[in-house]
Amino acid sequence: MHRYRFVFYRPLQLLPVLVGISIITFVLVHSIPGDPARILLGTRATPEALANIRAQFGLDEPIWVQYFDFVKNLFHGEMGRSILYKVDVIGLILGRLEPTLVLVFGSVILSLIITIPLATLAAGHRGGAIDHAVRMISTGGLGMPAFWLGIMLIILFSVKLGLFPVSGYGQSVADKLHHMVLPCLTIALSLSAVLTRSLRASLLAEMESDAAMAARARGLPEHIVFRRHVLPNSLIPTLNLLAVNIGWLISGTVVVESVFAIPGMGQLLIRAIFTRDYMVVQGVAMLFALASVLTNFLADILTVVLDPRVTL
Amino acid sequence: MNRKIFFLAATTALAALTFGTSVAEAAGVLTIGRREDSSTFDPIATAQNIDFWVFANVYDVLVRVDKTGTKLEPGLAESWTVSPDNLTYTFKMRDAKFSDGSPITSEDAKYSLTRIRDDKLSLWSDSYKIVADMATPDAQTLVVKLKSPSAPFLSTLAMPGASIISKKGMETMGEEAYAQKPIASGAFMVKDWIRGDRVILEKNPNFWQADRVKLDGVEWISIPDDNTRMLDVQAGQIDAAIFVPFSRVQQLEADPNLNVLLEPSTREDSLLINHSHGDLGKQKVREAIDDATDKKAIVDAVTFGIGTVANSYIPKGALYYNADNAVRPYDPEKAKTLLKEAGVSNLTLTYLAQAGDEVDEQVGVLLQQQFAKAGITLNIRKVDPSQQWGMLVDGDYDVAKAYWTNDILDPDQKTTFVLGNDSNMNYMTRYNNPAVTKLVAKARVEMDPKKRETMYVELQKQAKADVNWVDLYYSPYINVARKNVKDFFQNPLGRFFLEDTDKE
Repeated sequence: MHRYRFVFYRPLQLLPVLVGISIITFVLVHSIPGDPARILLGTRATPEALANIRAQFGLDEPIWVQYFDFVKNLFHGEMGRSILYKVDVIGLILGRLEPTLVLVFGSVILSLIITIPLATLAAGHRGGAIDHAVRMISTGGLGMPAFWLGIMLIILFSVKLGLFPVSGYGQSVADKLHHMVLPCLTIALSLSAVLTRSLRASLLAEMESDAAMAARARGLPEHIVFRRHVLPNSLIPTLNLLAVNIGWLISGTVVVESVFAIPGMGQLLIRAIFTRDYMVVQGVAMLFALASVLTNFLADILTVVLDPRVTL
Repeated sequence: MNRKIFFLAATTALAALTFGTSVAEAAGVLTIGRREDSSTFDPIATAQNIDFWVFANVYDVLVRVDKTGTKLEPGLAESWTVSPDNLTYTFKMRDAKFSDGSPITSEDAKYSLTRIRDDKLSLWSDSYKIVADMATPDAQTLVVKLKSPSAPFLSTLAMPGASIISKKGMETMGEEAYAQKPIASGAFMVKDWIRGDRVILEKNPNFWQADRVKLDGVEWISIPDDNTRMLDVQAGQIDAAIFVPFSRVQQLEADPNLNVLLEPSTREDSLLINHSHGDLGKQKVREAIDDATDKKAIVDAVTFGIGTVANSYIPKGALYYNADNAVRPYDPEKAKTLLKEAGVSNLTLTYLAQAGDEVDEQVGVLLQQQFAKAGITLNIRKVDPSQQWGMLVDGDYDVAKAYWTNDILDPDQKTTFVLGNDSNMNYMTRYNNPAVTKLVAKARVEMDPKKRETMYVELQKQAKADVNWVDLYYSPYINVARKNVKDFFQNPLGRFFLEDTDKE
């Protein structure tokens, strides 16, 4: 059972990581030039009104006092108040969580649906025309920026064919899923480009492995060998790659949410950065960091579960 | 067998996703796409058009601005009288109700105006400090006493910031709850506000002009990407969209399902000049810059010919606009001569642009080429929008493009900001002509419209002669609506008259 001991002590190691992230986020956010009070007040700003806003949000305090307040709030389960919206940051973030989660999970699932058959095909026809075709497709997928790909998908599937909504998130569950198909596809197409290459390589390696050879020697048909031995073993590096890419995936949602007008955390973050809504930027950044750290932790657990040889 | 069932299930799910839910919106609900979502419903706590444009349909004001944007008309105040000394205004309020059914009284009006003047949340205190005292002799009468006569006072009452809110409602609900889901005094009330996504309005049955309102509701939907927003209207997903980029107008006009609406606005784009920077303090040098600017070429390239060259700081069509104000024609040779006369050689300037703002960067590049012909070197420096703002305030720039849209119909607001030499250093230009400053103050208290007009014409001429900045262009609000939308209209101050809009 000691293989799973890391599940208990690893979270303790994560704590200093999170403290580090909080400091970095805070320093980065506060060192961007620009003044939230001035942005809020626009061209009509008078010195008194500016001072008034700064006092309301504690922006006139020394920077270390502001950091201390931020950490103190975190321990109370709070993240301060949004300067733009004038409401609690936590509530604001919770209201935006669902669309982003759906987008992330949807993209991962969709990218696996694309990746596994493509990589299998390519590995099965190593060096052949199909293999080259798959490689071309994945290189193409990497080359297309999300904002362009998204618009192209909208023009084709929404405007020309009328199959999916152009933008937004929807109300009922079915409606929401309907809205999320194109955004998820936009991310999945570029994500699967990365994953296909990795999975193809590990499939090729596993096909030559001793386990696969032995299975073939026992007279098992090739498709059984593939399903029982080759595929499960090849998925491990791909899963890890997926976990490493979670940061990239999250940054992808920021762009895609803007293109498809999805009211998620990415859009919240963008507007918060432009308006220097410090509390919101800090809150979202902390949450994204936490998500990224947790995903890697989960990937570790999954690896240990899938592969009995691994100890961490 | 298993595989077959799985396949069947998958196809059904896909089919359901594809065709199942293309919901048509309720017939009488108008959906409008815009760039950003609202930030609040507290009228005093914002200075952003994105909020103001929705306030106008959720709240009513004492005095409204008409469709032409040049005249005032009765709102919640049925009529008003002004004392001979121009210090006391007596408003007779009409019989009207809030969305919760309670009567709108002079007490609510007094509370709303006191709040915008005194509350610490208010971004507009300065404009209402002129109010000395208010009294409510009865529920329908509001008496406002001013500290000194003020010609623009009535028009400031029409500003969305001065919207009438429910005193009782605000006191019982609290500021935060009211700002989220207010009690309405206008044509529509807030049914729901999904932050970051949409504001859902429904018809206010208690509105005093409820008969006039044709729509059952309005949804303001946030679609930040310009391309996506346009595609949404083209695909019929939404009924209308605002903030149409200049570059898309021609293409959208070709779409038989759409009406592209170019509404006269009060927007003027101008080139700020920092008078405190070396040679830019010399009138001749600024004149040379104006001469070296090919305004027509900028209008053609940047606005695709949709805008018009600006000749005054007061927008075309606005109150007291001087149509005869002169435009300096593009003349790089004359600019060279002027620079020589001023004893300036090798003038090198920095244009401070907002990174990511396509139009701003484009103007910078055009100016660079045009100035070069007059022997002026222009360097472009791109910074983040909010950083640019700080640098303009701190005087850390030579030239930069900025714009202004009027909030009130009276020219005093912009004039004070641009020429009145108040705390904003004349829109960060550091322009300072004491005679002009004096005239701005005088025009503010002149109650005779004829005399006042003469003063503003004089101000426009003088500003042009001094080259307080370079007037670049006026441009309309550009909106697009599907053909079945009738009377979707925005006045020059930005107010949407959704109480008249209809959908067929």
